Amino acid sequence: MMPGWLRGLLVLLGVAGLFAVPRITGNEYVLALGVSFAMFSVLSGGLNLVYGYTGLLSFAQVGFFGIGGYTSALLVTERGWPLEAGAACGGALAALVGLVIGYSSLRLSRHAFAIVSLSFAFLCMIVARDWVSLTRGAMGIPGLPVPVLHLPGWSWRLSRPADFYYLLMGFAVIAQAVIYLVVTSRLGRAMRAIKLNEALAQSQGISPLSYKLLALALSAFLAGVVGGLFVFYLTIVDPSIFDFYYTETMLIMVIIGGPGSFWGVLGASAVLAALPDLLRFTTDLRMVLYGAVLIAAMLVFPGGVGGWLQRRALRRWRRPRLAAP
Amino acid sequence: MTLLLEVTGLTKRYLGLTAVDRVAFEVEGGTVVGLIGPNGSGKSTIVDCLSGFQRADGGQWRLDGRALTGLPAHRIARAGLTRTFQTVRAYDELTLLDNLRVAAQERDGVGWLPSLSRGPRLRAAEKAAEARGRDLLTTVGLAEYAQAPAAILSYGQRKLLAIAAAMMARPKLVVLDEPVAGVNPTMIRRIETVIHQLNAEGVTFVIVEHNMDFIMSLCRRVIVLEAGEKIADGPPHLIRSDPHVLAAYLGQRRAAELVLPLPKGERAG
Repeated sequence: MMPGWLRGLLVLLGVAGLFAVPRITGNEYVLALGVSFAMFSVLSGGLNLVYGYTGLLSFAQVGFFGIGGYTSALLVTERGWPLEAGAACGGALAALVGLVIGYSSLRLSRHAFAIVSLSFAFLCMIVARDWVSLTRGAMGIPGLPVPVLHLPGWSWRLSRPADFYYLLMGFAVIAQAVIYLVVTSRLGRAMRAIKLNEALAQSQGISPLSYKLLALALSAFLAGVVGGLFVFYLTIVDPSIFDFYYTETMLIMVIIGGPGSFWGVLGASAVLAALPDLLRFTTDLRMVLYGAVLIAAMLVFPGGVGGWLQRRALRRWRRPRLAAP
Repeated sequence: MTLLLEVTGLTKRYLGLTAVDRVAFEVEGGTVVGLIGPNGSGKSTIVDCLSGFQRADGGQWRLDGRALTGLPAHRIARAGLTRTFQTVRAYDELTLLDNLRVAAQERDGVGWLPSLSRGPRLRAAEKAAEARGRDLLTTVGLAEYAQAPAAILSYGQRKLLAIAAAMMARPKLVVLDEPVAGVNPTMIRRIETVIHQLNAEGVTFVIVEHNMDFIMSLCRRVIVLEAGEKIADGPPHLIRSDPHVLAAYLGQRRAAELVLPLPKGERAG
C-alpha cells in the first residue's frame, strides 16, 4: 500500500490532468471519450456501491439514469428551469423511485431485488415509449436547447463540447469523492459486512435494510443527476436511454474492476470507456477484439483487478503460517 | 442474583410439527446456563426465536425487564442479546480487527452523518472499539492476526473470533450455538477458558452444545429439551441422573438399566 500523502498527490495530479485536457487539445473526439468516461464512471461507481459493497445485484441503475435524463430534459424545456435545478430534481426523483422499489423488494430477498430491478428497467423503457403525453413517445424529445448553468455570480452557457467535458468531468469528480467518502467510512464497512454475511451483521445490531436503501438511494441520485446532464450533451432524450447497453457496460466495468474495489472499478471504467474506440483501427474486428479482451480479463482476474490484489494480500498472510512449525 | 432473561410459553410450529412447545425458563445474571437435548429437540429453534432470526408462534421473552418479543434480529442485538452461529460465520475479507469493530459500531450511538464527517466523536468511538477489539483478540489468543483477513483462520480460530465478536458490544447475554462442535480438544479447552474468563468479567452465557463434558464442566445449571419440551432443569449432577434425561438420550430400556440395574437373567435380549 502506498502512503496516504502519495495517494493524495496522485489523485490531485490525475484530476488536474483531466481538467487540463481541453486546454491541450480541442480534439472533439478526445473530449467525447472524456465525457463517456465521466458518465460511465458515475454509473459504475454507483453500481459498485450497490453491488460491489452491499451485495445487491441491481439492473435498475439504467432506470435511474433515464429517469434523471427525462426529468431534467422536461423541466428545462417545458418549465424553463435552469440545468442545475433540473438535474438535481432528476437525481432526487431517481433516489425516491430507488427507495420505493428497494423498500418493496428488499424485504423479500436479494434475488427478489435483482428480478424487480430488471423488471423496473424494462418498465421504464415501456413507460417512456408509451406515455406519449408526457414523454412524447418513441421519438423522444429531440433538439434539447443549449443549457445554462447558474453558478453563484456566474452563468455558464454550455455551447462548446469542452463545456460539457468540464461539466461532466466536474460532476464525476464530486460523485467519486462522495462514493469514496462513503465506502471508506464505517458505513462502507457495514455495507461490506452485510454483503459478506448478512445474518452475522444482523446479529451484531446492523439493520441490513437501512444500509441497502442508503446505498441504493445514493447510487440512484448520482445516476439520475448524471443522466440529467448527459442528455443535454446528446441534445436528445428518447427511450433508448434505458437501453441494456448501459447496464451491460457498467456491469462489465464493475466485474472487471473487481466488485467492492473503488480504484479497481474506477480504473476499469477509464480503460473500458476508451477500449472500443482504441480498437477502432480495425473496424471489422473491433467488437471481436473487445470480446477477447473481456474474456482474457476474466481468465487472468476472475475476481476482477480488486479481487486479484486481495488474493495476493491473503497469500502474504498465509506464507509465514505455513513456514511455522 | 437478578433475573436477566425470562422466557414464557415459547412456541414454534413448522406446518403440523411443533418444534418448540410452550418452553419456559429463566436465566439469572452472571451465570452460564447449558441448553442440551438430542438432535431435533428444538435447541437451535429456541436460539433462533430468541435472537429474532425466526418468528415465534407464541410466547414472550424479556431481557432485563424489557420485552423483546417479535423484534427484528438487529433490534434484539442492540437491546443486549447477542448470539453466535452453529455454522461458524465471519467476514472473510475483513481483517480480524474490522470483524470486531463492525460488531460494535451500531451500539456506540454515533449516527450516519458523524460517521461520514469523521469528527472527534467518531474517532473516540472507533478508538474505544479498537482497544476493546485488541483486548478481546488477546483474550482469545488471536492478537497476532489482528490485521490479517479472517479468511486465513482455521475452523476453531473462527469459533473464537465469533465469540469475541459477540462480546464486542458489551452484551448482557450471549447465546453460543454449539461453540465447540467439530473443534479439536486443545481448542475446546481454550474456548472453555475464554468463556470462564468472560463470565468472571460479568457476561452471562447460554450455551447450546452436544459435548457433555464441556457443558457439565462449564455450567452450574443445565436445561434439557426433548421433542420441543423442557424435560429437566437443574444443576449438572442432578441432570446426569435424571431418569427423563437418560430416557431421552439412551432410550427407556437402557435408562432403566442404568438407574435400577435389572436382574442378570433378564439382561440378554
